[in-house]
Amino acid sequence: MFDIFYHGKLDKKWSRLFVAAPFFTLLLISSCTKENVSDFQAQAPAYFPKPNYTQHIQGYTKGRFELGKKLFFDPLLSTDYSTSCASCHSQTHGFADHNVRFSSGIYGRKGVRNTPSIANMIWYPVFGWDGGVNHLEIFHLTPLTNELEMGTDINGVLNRLNHNQNYRDLFKTHYGVEQISDYELFKALTLYISQIQSFQTKYDQYRQGKVSFSLAEQKGYALFKSHCASCHSEPLFSNFSYQNNGLDSVFADSGRGKITNEITDFGKFRVPSLRNVALTYPYMHDGRFWDLKEVLDHYSDGIVENSQNLSPELKKGMNLSDAKKQQLITFLNTLTDYKLLSDKRFY
Amino acid sequence: MKNIFSISSLIILVLLGFTSCNKNKKNATGELEITFEHVWGMGESAFNLNTNYVQPMNNEELNFSTFKYYVSNIILTKEDGTLWKDTNSYYLIDLSKPSSLSLALSRVPVGTYKSMTYTLGVDSLRNVSGVQTGALSTTNGMFWNWNSGYIMLKAEGTSPSSSSGSFAYHLGGFSGQFNIVTTKTVNFDTEKLMINNDHACEIHMKANPAKLFHNDAITNGANIMMPGSRAKSMSLNFYGSVSFEHLHN
Repeated sequence: MFDIFYHGKLDKKWSRLFVAAPFFTLLLISSCTKENVSDFQAQAPAYFPKPNYTQHIQGYTKGRFELGKKLFFDPLLSTDYSTSCASCHSQTHGFADHNVRFSSGIYGRKGVRNTPSIANMIWYPVFGWDGGVNHLEIFHLTPLTNELEMGTDINGVLNRLNHNQNYRDLFKTHYGVEQISDYELFKALTLYISQIQSFQTKYDQYRQGKVSFSLAEQKGYALFKSHCASCHSEPLFSNFSYQNNGLDSVFADSGRGKITNEITDFGKFRVPSLRNVALTYPYMHDGRFWDLKEVLDHYSDGIVENSQNLSPELKKGMNLSDAKKQQLITFLNTLTDYKLLSDKRFY
Repeated sequence: MKNIFSISSLIILVLLGFTSCNKNKKNATGELEITFEHVWGMGESAFNLNTNYVQPMNNEELNFSTFKYYVSNIILTKEDGTLWKDTNSYYLIDLSKPSSLSLALSRVPVGTYKSMTYTLGVDSLRNVSGVQTGALSTTNGMFWNWNSGYIMLKAEGTSPSSSSGSFAYHLGGFSGQFNIVTTKTVNFDTEKLMINNDHACEIHMKANPAKLFHNDAITNGANIMMPGSRAKSMSLNFYGSVSFEHLHN
């Protein structure tokens, strides 16, 4: 059922096998290895940087992917069996939550920051709005154990998995272990998440010369480059720095300052990627802006100038006309990855 | 002719003997047990969890429910200067688990060693390398879920000096000015460590949890949950109390 993505390639391989009968064995071996390697990663455009995480791509097998997917969708990982990873990271919403300010976790508890997209995380240097998590594999510990999210004790969740014959069998088959530990659990989730990659947008087609932009898209792209790209750097649309974008004069959430305890980091948050941004509303770390127009209104003339640690580049305000805002929004819409949203491997 | 043969066969025999000797020596290994004893205060009475103590410098009363810390990267140095490094050398000393107080090192090459180097805490590499196994597994409750890094020393308990009645010191920090990872070396004086393949050698270490509050007090704050200057001074004061007692060959 989930094989559709592979069918084209497999069909070609099989026909090749029958034609080249003398090399049957050799080809069979090479096709076996090939089948185990994710071809998807190889397709990332040349202008993408080298990913920070490659071992989960190299360790890819379809079986491991399906196991990671099963875990990703399984509310068994949360204390009250209510919340899975997929509850808040939905394919239809660019792998962010379903357009809510704060996500609901166990017992209906609300989170305190807007759920970010988890696409393209193999290219991220750090994770979370405050960059507090330093490795993709260890990232899973945060939502799993956060008392507002999935709220489990890691030993409790491993106990559940180890009492589940289906999971025991799957981990034995795909990771060769009798007893499931956090090591295999995090590896399996990481392998799945590593496959959530967004680089098949209209913007990407344009970059590769496959489509042209409308006049409004071109103008929006030019405005984007002059006003936004220094932080929302292409092609990942973030330079992963920490910035205060002038939302408040008093910080309800100290952001990066919570991690470093440095006075110069209070009120700063990691610059979010803008890929699939049209789908991941509401915006900002606290989801205060409902649509892109509100966001651009803020950058245009809503910056709180006396905000401590404000990004110097934002001090003046962008002073954008409504027409320019509309052009920017038109460009931002080219960052929606319909191929990823409809990729059958993920549902 | 006959002589040449016998001489050359003699040489070959001797050579063979040498290599086999060397091989034996090279492969011969022994065991080492490093035991940590915990004492309290200047009187150095036995330290245990769930026991009432008074900190001798600030007179605060306190009772520990948890006391755990990491010892890692054990290296032994032979008299000729060659090093032996314990592989995957991470140990969590947990006072609620008596078996964790003795670190069992096996496959130590036979020989005479003049010193031991060890680290208190977890080196920076393991703090940034994703999911780990064994003593470094997240199941040990020694990894921060919101600010990646190991809690290298965890001390929890109760005290009337805390407004809430309890205290929790989660001490860590692997980089920058608040790095608490501390490497120490023990030089064995007159009695060297002689690893042999007959029986396990023992090294006895001593640590004094009262030193956590050297020039500090629970009234200064009953909780620490992240790296910082106080986390550093508390942990380094405790690490300073970790010392070599004696060894048994």
